[in-house]
Amino acid sequence: MDVEIKGIRKAYARKKVLTDISFSMEAGSCAAILGSNGSGKSTLLSILAGVRKADGGSFFYRGNDLLRCPGQIPKALGYVPQGDPLLEELNAWDNLRMWYDRKTLQRELAEGALKLLGIDGFLKTPVRRMSGGMKKRLSIGCAVVSRPGILLLDEPSAALDPVCKENIRSYLEVYREEGGIVLMVTHDAQDLELCDMCYILRDGTLQPWEYGGDFHKLAEKLRETPEKCI
Amino acid sequence: MRQTTAYFLAQLKRAIRLLPGQVMADLLVCVCAGALACLLISQGAAAAKGSRYRIGMVGDLSASYLGYGMAAVQEMDDSRFMIELVPMSEQEAEAAFWRGELYAVMRVPEGLLESIVYGENDRLITYTATQGQQGLGTMVMGEITDLASTLVTCSQSAIYAMQRTLADQGRGEEIGRETDKLNLALINLVLSRGDFGEVEVLGYGDGLSLELYYFCGMILLFLLLSGLLNSALFVHGNGVFSCFLKARGVGAFRQILGEYPAYLMLVTMGLFILCPPLGFGLARGLLGIPEWEGMGAAPFLSFLPVLIPVAVMLAAMQFFLFEAAEGIVNGILLQLLSGIGMGYLSGCFYPSAFFPEKMRALGEILPSGAAARFMQAGALGRIPAELWAAVFGWTGVFLVLTILVRKSRMTGWL
Repeated sequence: MDVEIKGIRKAYARKKVLTDISFSMEAGSCAAILGSNGSGKSTLLSILAGVRKADGGSFFYRGNDLLRCPGQIPKALGYVPQGDPLLEELNAWDNLRMWYDRKTLQRELAEGALKLLGIDGFLKTPVRRMSGGMKKRLSIGCAVVSRPGILLLDEPSAALDPVCKENIRSYLEVYREEGGIVLMVTHDAQDLELCDMCYILRDGTLQPWEYGGDFHKLAEKLRETPEKCI
Repeated sequence: MRQTTAYFLAQLKRAIRLLPGQVMADLLVCVCAGALACLLISQGAAAAKGSRYRIGMVGDLSASYLGYGMAAVQEMDDSRFMIELVPMSEQEAEAAFWRGELYAVMRVPEGLLESIVYGENDRLITYTATQGQQGLGTMVMGEITDLASTLVTCSQSAIYAMQRTLADQGRGEEIGRETDKLNLALINLVLSRGDFGEVEVLGYGDGLSLELYYFCGMILLFLLLSGLLNSALFVHGNGVFSCFLKARGVGAFRQILGEYPAYLMLVTMGLFILCPPLGFGLARGLLGIPEWEGMGAAPFLSFLPVLIPVAVMLAAMQFFLFEAAEGIVNGILLQLLSGIGMGYLSGCFYPSAFFPEKMRALGEILPSGAAARFMQAGALGRIPAELWAAVFGWTGVFLVLTILVRKSRMTGWL
C-alpha cells in the first residue's frame, strides 16, 4: 500500500474529535470521506496536510511517516482547503508565482497540470474577478506545484456549476491515471462517482461504505450521524 | 527561504496595488485633520479674544465700596480679560446659571458690611458648576473666583477698618483723604501682584514647548490611527490561506516575516505622505514651533529618522491587533478604539502632565507612551538607551504575539 494511515487521534481540550482513524490507499486510487457537519472531516485533512498536529497515530507514505517528518509533507502531498487559498488583489500569474519558479510555471502552463486545469486561459485575471470554478482550479494549480503523490481536497465541488465540476473531475482522472492518490471530503454525488472507496466519519472513526450511486441511501446514512459542534 | 521571499514579494505586490487607495485615504485624512486644526485654532483664538467668564453677583450689593472693589477687578486688574462680574438678582442669576450663561454665581450675604465693619471676615459664597464638570478650566476659574472674592472683601475690610479707626480717634476730617490714599495703595497692590512671583513654564513632555509637544502628538495620533487607513491589506485575509501556507511548508514565523514588512511599507508610506505638508508648514513658520523657529525645514528633516522606529513599533502593534481580532470589522473597531484610547492616555489630545499620576504612569507604560516619549526625546535630539529598548522591546513583543496567535489559529486553539 502506498498510503497507510493508522490510529490517528485528535481532541480539542476534552472533546475527542478523532479517536482512531485507520485506512490505506494505493497508487491511482481515490477515496471520499463523508460525514455530518462537525464530525471532524476537515480536521482529519488538516492533520494529514501537516497544518494541525495529531495527538497520536501515523501516516505512512512510501515508507515514511509524514506525521513524524512534517518537512516532507509539502513535497509529498497537495492540500486544497475548502476556501480558496488565494490572494484576491493579485492575478492568477502572481498567485502561481508564489509557488512556481518562472521556468517551471511556463512549462506547466504549456504542457503540465496547469494546462490540464485550463489556467492558461485566465492568467491575467485578478482573483477577485474570477468565478468559483476558476478559483478552485487555480487553488488546485497552486497545490500541485511539487507534483505530489497525494492530493487532499476539502469539498472540491462545493458551489460550483456542472461545467466547472467536470473540468476538475477531468483533471483528477488524469491525476489518478498518472498514479496520484486522491483523498477528498465531499458530499457531491458526481465526486463520489469518481471514488473507488467511501468512508463515513462517525464517532471519531472511519467506516467503509459502499455508495452504489444511490444518493438517497447516502442521505439516510448521514442522517444516522447527527451534526456536532467542535 | 525561497518561498518566504516569494511570499514577501507577493505581499509587497498586494501592498503596491492597494497603495493608490491608501494614498487617497491618507491625503483625505491630512486635509480633514488640517482643516479641523485650522478651524479649531481660529475658533479658539476668536473665543479667547471675545469671550470672558461671566460671574453673577447677587445678594447685598448696596455698599459703595463693594461696588468700588468690583469696579477695581473689572477695570484695572489683569483678570478683567478673563472674567466679567455681572450684578443681578437671585432669580436672574439662577436662570442664567442653568442656561449656561454664567460660569459661577457669587452671593454677598446680608449684613456683610456690618460684619466687615465689626472686624468679622465673612467671605462671599461662591457657587460654581457641578463636580461632574471638574476640569482644568473649572480649577483655574475656581482660583480666579476666589481671587476676585478676596480682592473685593479685603478692600472693603481695609477701607471700613481705616474709616472706623479714624472716627474713633476723632480724625473724621481725614477720612476722605486717607480713603483715597488707601484706595490707591490697594489698586497698586492689585495691579502689581503679577510681580510678586515669577512663573517659570518648564514645558511639556521633557521640556518641549506646547507647540512641539502637540506636533509630536499629532504625528503619533496619525500613526496610531494608520491601522484604520491600512486595513485594506487585511480585508481578504483568511485562515484558509494561512493553513495552505502551512501545508506548503511556510509556518507562522515565515508567514509573519513575509507579511509584516509589506504592512510596514504601507504605514511608512502614509507617514511620508504626511511629511511634505508638515515640512512646508515648518519652512513657512506656520506651525510656530519655538524650538525650530527660523530654522526652516532642517530640524524636521533631522527629526524624520526618529519616526521610523516608532512606525516600526506601531505597525507591529496594529499587525497584532488585526491578527488577534476575529474578522475585519472587529479589527477595524479594535484599531479605532485602541488608537484613540492610547492616544488620549499618552497625551495626544491633552498634555499628559495634566493627568492624575496613575493615569500618567499607565500612559507611559503603554506602547503609545513609549512612542510619545521617543518622539519627544528625538525632537530634542537626545534619545536615551531605555527608550530605544522600550520601542524595540514592544516591537518584538507584538511580533512574537502575532506569531503565537497565527499559530494558535492554524492549529485550532483559537
